[in-house]
Amino acid sequence: MQSLKDIIAVQARTWTAIEQPNEAAGVMADMLGPILAGFEALRGQLRFEDEPSSFEAALQETKEPTKEPI
Amino acid sequence: MNIAAKSLGAKSSLLHLSLVDAAEALKDGAISSVALTQAALEAFSRLDDAINASIWLDGTAALEAAAAFDKKRASGATLGRLHGVPLAHKDMYYKAGRLSTCGSAIRKDFRPDCTATVIERLEVAGSVTLGGLNLAEFAQNPTGHNRHFGDCRNPWGPDYCTGGSSSGSGAAVAARLVFGALGSDTGGSIRLPAAICGVTGIKPTQTRVSRYGVMPLSFSADNVGPLARTARDAARFLSVIAGHDPKDPTSSREPVADYEAALSGELAGVTIGVPTNYFFDGIDPDVQRAFDEAVEVLQARGAKIVPVTIPHMDAVATYGGIVSRVEGGTIHGEWMRARPQDYAVHLSARLYGSQAVPAVYYIEALARRGAILKAVAKDVFGACNAFITPTLRMKVPTLLATDIDAGTPGAIEVFNDVSVNTRPINYLGLPSVSVPCGLDSNGLPIGFQIQGRPFGEARILAIADAYQRDTDWHRRLPPHVA
Repeated sequence: MQSLKDIIAVQARTWTAIEQPNEAAGVMADMLGPILAGFEALRGQLRFEDEPSSFEAALQETKEPTKEPI
Repeated sequence: MNIAAKSLGAKSSLLHLSLVDAAEALKDGAISSVALTQAALEAFSRLDDAINASIWLDGTAALEAAAAFDKKRASGATLGRLHGVPLAHKDMYYKAGRLSTCGSAIRKDFRPDCTATVIERLEVAGSVTLGGLNLAEFAQNPTGHNRHFGDCRNPWGPDYCTGGSSSGSGAAVAARLVFGALGSDTGGSIRLPAAICGVTGIKPTQTRVSRYGVMPLSFSADNVGPLARTARDAARFLSVIAGHDPKDPTSSREPVADYEAALSGELAGVTIGVPTNYFFDGIDPDVQRAFDEAVEVLQARGAKIVPVTIPHMDAVATYGGIVSRVEGGTIHGEWMRARPQDYAVHLSARLYGSQAVPAVYYIEALARRGAILKAVAKDVFGACNAFITPTLRMKVPTLLATDIDAGTPGAIEVFNDVSVNTRPINYLGLPSVSVPCGLDSNGLPIGFQIQGRPFGEARILAIADAYQRDTDWHRRLPPHVA
């Protein structure tokens, strides 16, 4: 099985023509594993009524009430 | 002359005034802008070799500006809220024709043809700009390492990180070289150096401050804000730069509150949440102790403390981990192809992986951002007015322990962990202010951060100010500055 580092090397070269610049980049590429696992774990777990939603609208909808005493 | 100004004699001690006290003393005519500016320039010449907070200084231009401001005050003209106050800023805020290195080799000679709106607003308010401050290369690390201009060093201990990416801003304010400084915060870059250098720093609500003329890092998560000594200083500074800017269509039209007027010292009737999940995992005992003591201070001031569970933290951490990464990788794609050797190892390494993150993941992270914010607001801000967490879970690491370029074993892991408590707040877009709350067993500062509802800057600054009325961590001086 290919390592994440190897998969990313192929993807980066193929899609953006960027080569792995140094050894640390390979280590950091492998460290994307937990993020990938995070996405896998979220599959089917989240359901929102208004998806996709506007982030700017959400900022307005949830903002600090102006009349509330500070 | 105000009381604080009266108590000062030597020129260098003028720099121990808070920003607001300095501004009031200048307004009264008790001190001159030229005297303050000279004191600041002398302090840089005396201390900056040790901490490397600046990339460039323009003393001649600063003194000319200061003299003009003194003349204006003498004429009886209306004065701005920062009239005559010397500041310096992270070297990524453009002024037409002036050097703006962005902490990089690639832009070491860059002179933009536009001026950042926040720089214009600070000039209109009367501030004097001394120069450009050190930062992480392209504002892209949480530690303050910089291969091209030298690492910024912590005034509390030169072997330790300053935090980043606004490293020079944190160090310069902590060392009493300036009264305040612009930083920027995409994953903690204002709050981390504020906490690690023992000063106060606020990341405003996403869209609160214009980003026109500011080096971009992440379209979705970049924020502009100040580092200063006190919450009141930060309130004054933020009131100058906040508000809609026609040149930045992403900036909010939400009216700007009177931040200073909100600083009543009262916490009666205010409910503050302490998360039961995520933010305390693996926390250092020194940090936990300082945080617990801060909670007691807030409680003694009248705040009600309640436990809160932040919903969807797995999603926030996962999504927040890729948005700025992918956007940064996009911005740097051309240079990554053409000039990879001109990046520090840690930066090119960090940017590289983003080239292979699937677009569907990036879109998923953005598409759910609003819905997750609403869920957090309902569950958390339905139960409290603000929630607090440690700014970092760890003690301040050394520069060596986090030096990826030097190949230090374990450096990448520590480097990644520094911002684990700050990054989620950027994904949520919430305002957050970091306040000093103690010293660790190595004598380095500890900070905690206060989060409020969107556009609740007045609320969180009021809590920070109330805390600072009963504590003196924000007034303590780094040993060699004292």
